[in-house]
Amino acid sequence: MTDETILKAEDLFYSYDDNQTYALNGLSLEIGKGQKVAFMGANGSGKSTFFLCCVGICRPQKGKLYVGGREVNYDKKGLLDLRSKVGIVFQDPDNQLFSASVYQEISFGILNLGVPEEEAKKEVEAVIDYLEITPFRHRPTHALSGGQKKQVSIADILVMHPDIIILDEPAAALDPKHTTMVNHIVDQMTENGITVLMATHDVNYAYEWADEVLLFHEGKILTSGTPEQVFADHEALRHTNLEPPVVLELFQRLTEKGILEASLPVPKNLRALEDAIAAVRWQK
Amino acid sequence: MITIDKLCYNSKLRYENAGEKFAFAVITLCICVMSRSISVACIVLAATGILTVYKGGIPASRYIKYLTAPLAFLLLSTIAIMFQVSRTPLDLFAIPVGGWYITSSTDSFHYAVQLILTALGAVSCLYFLSFTTPMPDILEVLRKLHVPALMIELMLLIYRFIFVLLHVASSISISQDCRLGNKDYKTALKSFGMLGSVLMVRAVGRSNRLYDAMEARCYDGRIRVLSESRPPKKKVICWIAAFDTVLFLFAVWRRWLI
Repeated sequence: MTDETILKAEDLFYSYDDNQTYALNGLSLEIGKGQKVAFMGANGSGKSTFFLCCVGICRPQKGKLYVGGREVNYDKKGLLDLRSKVGIVFQDPDNQLFSASVYQEISFGILNLGVPEEEAKKEVEAVIDYLEITPFRHRPTHALSGGQKKQVSIADILVMHPDIIILDEPAAALDPKHTTMVNHIVDQMTENGITVLMATHDVNYAYEWADEVLLFHEGKILTSGTPEQVFADHEALRHTNLEPPVVLELFQRLTEKGILEASLPVPKNLRALEDAIAAVRWQK
Repeated sequence: MITIDKLCYNSKLRYENAGEKFAFAVITLCICVMSRSISVACIVLAATGILTVYKGGIPASRYIKYLTAPLAFLLLSTIAIMFQVSRTPLDLFAIPVGGWYITSSTDSFHYAVQLILTALGAVSCLYFLSFTTPMPDILEVLRKLHVPALMIELMLLIYRFIFVLLHVASSISISQDCRLGNKDYKTALKSFGMLGSVLMVRAVGRSNRLYDAMEARCYDGRIRVLSESRPPKKKVICWIAAFDTVLFLFAVWRRWLI
């Protein structure tokens, strides 16, 4: 993890209806390279709009957006450059998959980057292998299950090797098996140095996974910081209709009751909490 | 249509080179239509039938069911050729009705049968193609034949969207059923109308979002995709060439030399 800023937004405003209401209402944020960032907040709080701004689909009416230290340029070349750096996996794969053939679908993005066909073929094969798409690569996309479609839509983006990957609620409507699979893929992305921005409603997952949590409220950042900081802010959580993570809440209750020492490091997951409790018994 | 799509993805001939299948279907179809001969049509029907059912592994009952679908149209449209109403009886048969006859001549009957079989033969060629070759493969062949890119891209998107919209339509229709949306004829008509209008709105919404998603992957107005082509096999090409040459010579012989 470095301190280098890869994405920066300054006072963004965006309105879908000619300045009647603002989906982004003076949004400012800064994201470091290689970070795992969880975007949380109610539906309609501006997460998806911000994501669309990041890939140049929505152009903010006011404010500045910097990617990789440079201000986003909205001419043809600038957009191509932006979209080769930032990839987005949409929430509903059916809105993303345009071809009936898995292979064609995955090859689309990388060919648009101007990669020669031979090299593109290798990349596509590699990503098919890497994301375990091989068993259903010859099936038509309309015959795939929701989880398989998700795998293909992630492959769509991974094959383009972006610096930043945005995942808009990747676990929505997935079964536990595919959720685990997607989480695993996300972990590997981070290991490969990709900055991952993820919108999610799962506080427990965000608490364990993220380096930084951003709480969105009415087109602005309500609060941001490490998961421990953000999820300890009960006022902000109530504002955004979120529950605190189970582990954190249990830990706090146990310290209040004097069972655990308040000086202990805050546990990240159930396993860590379990260890902390087990250690207490051994001390006695 | 959905069944054909499902069957074709499971066909044993699916992974053969698409160009070969396309060439076989189109050339055989042309010979069949040009020859206008009962015997040629029968040979074509037999050949495509054997290939689709025996080689391709499509269930015979399904195949026959699909072949009988156009048969109904053909029979209806050849009624006018087969039967005539006239004052004089013709040679094949004549049913007197009042002072008139419903009658038919051997020639016109023969002509009708030939028309039906030729059309059926032509349909069987297209069935062979659609039962063995998935749409993306056919599009790839069309691309190689220099069909305008715009048309191919449209077909690609339309094909994908048929399934997306069909899925939306079926979920809406199920949810209407659950709320008694089809309890009688009047409500059913109303529900169907609403389904149509909602589908239209959804289709526009979906296409906008799809366009956004493609834009996000650097779409610039041209859909460029890789194709997984399977190398053509010499043996198969020889077989196709031999079959179609023999069929062509046979057709010429039947039509002009007898």
